[in-house]
Amino acid sequence: MSYKIPMGPYHPALEEPYKLDLICEGETVEDAKLHIGFNFRGIEHLAESRNYIQVIALMERVCGICSNIHTLTLCTAMEGLTGLTPPPRAQYIRVIMAELERLHSHVLWAGIAAKLMGFKTMFMTCFELREKVMDVLQAISGNRVNYSMNRIGGVNRDITDPQSILKMVEALEAEMARTVIPIFTTSRTATSRCAGVGVLTTEKAIALGVVGPVARASGVPQDLRRAAPYAAYAELDFDVPVQPAGDVRARLLVRALEIMESCKILRQALSKLPPGEIHTEGEKFAFTTGTATARVEAPRGEVMYSVSWREGSRNPARVHVRTPTFAVMPAIRWMVKGARLADTPLIQASIDPCYSCTDR
Amino acid sequence: MTSLDEIPQKHGSNEAWVEKGGVHWLNPGKMSVRQLAAAMNELHARFITITAYQLPKEEGFRMEYHWDLDGQLLGFSFVLAGKSIESIFDLCEAVDWIEREIHEGFAIEFTGREYEPLLLRQGDTPGVNLRDAVVASGALAANQEKK
Repeated sequence: MSYKIPMGPYHPALEEPYKLDLICEGETVEDAKLHIGFNFRGIEHLAESRNYIQVIALMERVCGICSNIHTLTLCTAMEGLTGLTPPPRAQYIRVIMAELERLHSHVLWAGIAAKLMGFKTMFMTCFELREKVMDVLQAISGNRVNYSMNRIGGVNRDITDPQSILKMVEALEAEMARTVIPIFTTSRTATSRCAGVGVLTTEKAIALGVVGPVARASGVPQDLRRAAPYAAYAELDFDVPVQPAGDVRARLLVRALEIMESCKILRQALSKLPPGEIHTEGEKFAFTTGTATARVEAPRGEVMYSVSWREGSRNPARVHVRTPTFAVMPAIRWMVKGARLADTPLIQASIDPCYSCTDR
Repeated sequence: MTSLDEIPQKHGSNEAWVEKGGVHWLNPGKMSVRQLAAAMNELHARFITITAYQLPKEEGFRMEYHWDLDGQLLGFSFVLAGKSIESIFDLCEAVDWIEREIHEGFAIEFTGREYEPLLLRQGDTPGVNLRDAVVASGALAANQEKK
């Protein structure tokens, strides 16, 4: 017998609201319909009534996890309209913040995934580790969620003692290599719950234009840090982990390997942090009429901002945000087709969705 | 000649690519959005997004289509005199949600496709220009007065 199960908007697995109508035949999911918009705040429209300082604070609030990425992308686009170029030290600090954010996002996701697998001890371990990443972020920025680090032409705060941050990163890396990575890559529980579940084939991933770790876990080697380097990424050495299987386990492996790559990038960036200013000092700037676009690789994949300005205006004429979850979420329909009903919360969580980002 | 240069030539245009604001722009000229989507498919370019701009007064809309080709960001701008443009959903599955979102937020009709129920504002009226609706409601003016 065919029946429909509405899942959400209060979700069994995730904190944010969204709804999935699952069409089931027995325990097997035949099809699914996604409903978003529960977090729609009209942020793009609000941005048109904010000046160039206020708009940074506003867009930082698009997402509670990758808040720094949003201001980084916005500021990069606004720098394109003002002609300002951040000094080298600022570019490195931007990389450090972006990678710390990726670390805390991936570890948070690992914790939630562990909980959904029935691995609650691992959930606690991951959250303890994430807390250490948050401590590093707080030590640098003074904040734990909205870091207020980016500004047009650079960053707001310096890293005065990179060696102490480096020690924290090394301790984190050792702990991840000792506990999180081996458990996720070798444990039987993780394998049995994730292998062959929620498959997104390479062909479908390309057709849907999915991005980030979900694309890389479906064999699409796509990463803007490598393909279109921004900030100081062109000067840093790192690998882009790719897995071909396209299942939940592949997404788990890609993120686990990315945690190690982020630590590698952080070690390099902290060691090579160049001296000098952290923002363009005392330089007057003005917005030219036009549109500038910037893209960065957020923890969940490509974020793109298009910012349009009219010369002499205090406010942007238009700010458009294409978030990674907006590109990835339609793939859930294809991932849950043929899956067991009991696996659907884990499959949905495996894309590491951010519904606030999606709805804006 | 790169495969990018072949696109305008193939479609009878003399336009050249111009790099501006981080994007490689090509004036599509007489090329329709569907011809463009087919050309992007041939190149195996990845669709990123569409950005809709409401032009001042009654000048209509500008739609910017973006694709990624090996890390290069490609941009194509179409000015709409009216409120409709051909859908490319059947050529490019990735446009589904952004076409639906623009239809909901700007009341632009993507012809040749069917819409599922509203993506962002379920239960609301489809095809409403939210910007005009907000201005008409006076909410924005009230907010400015408070400031």
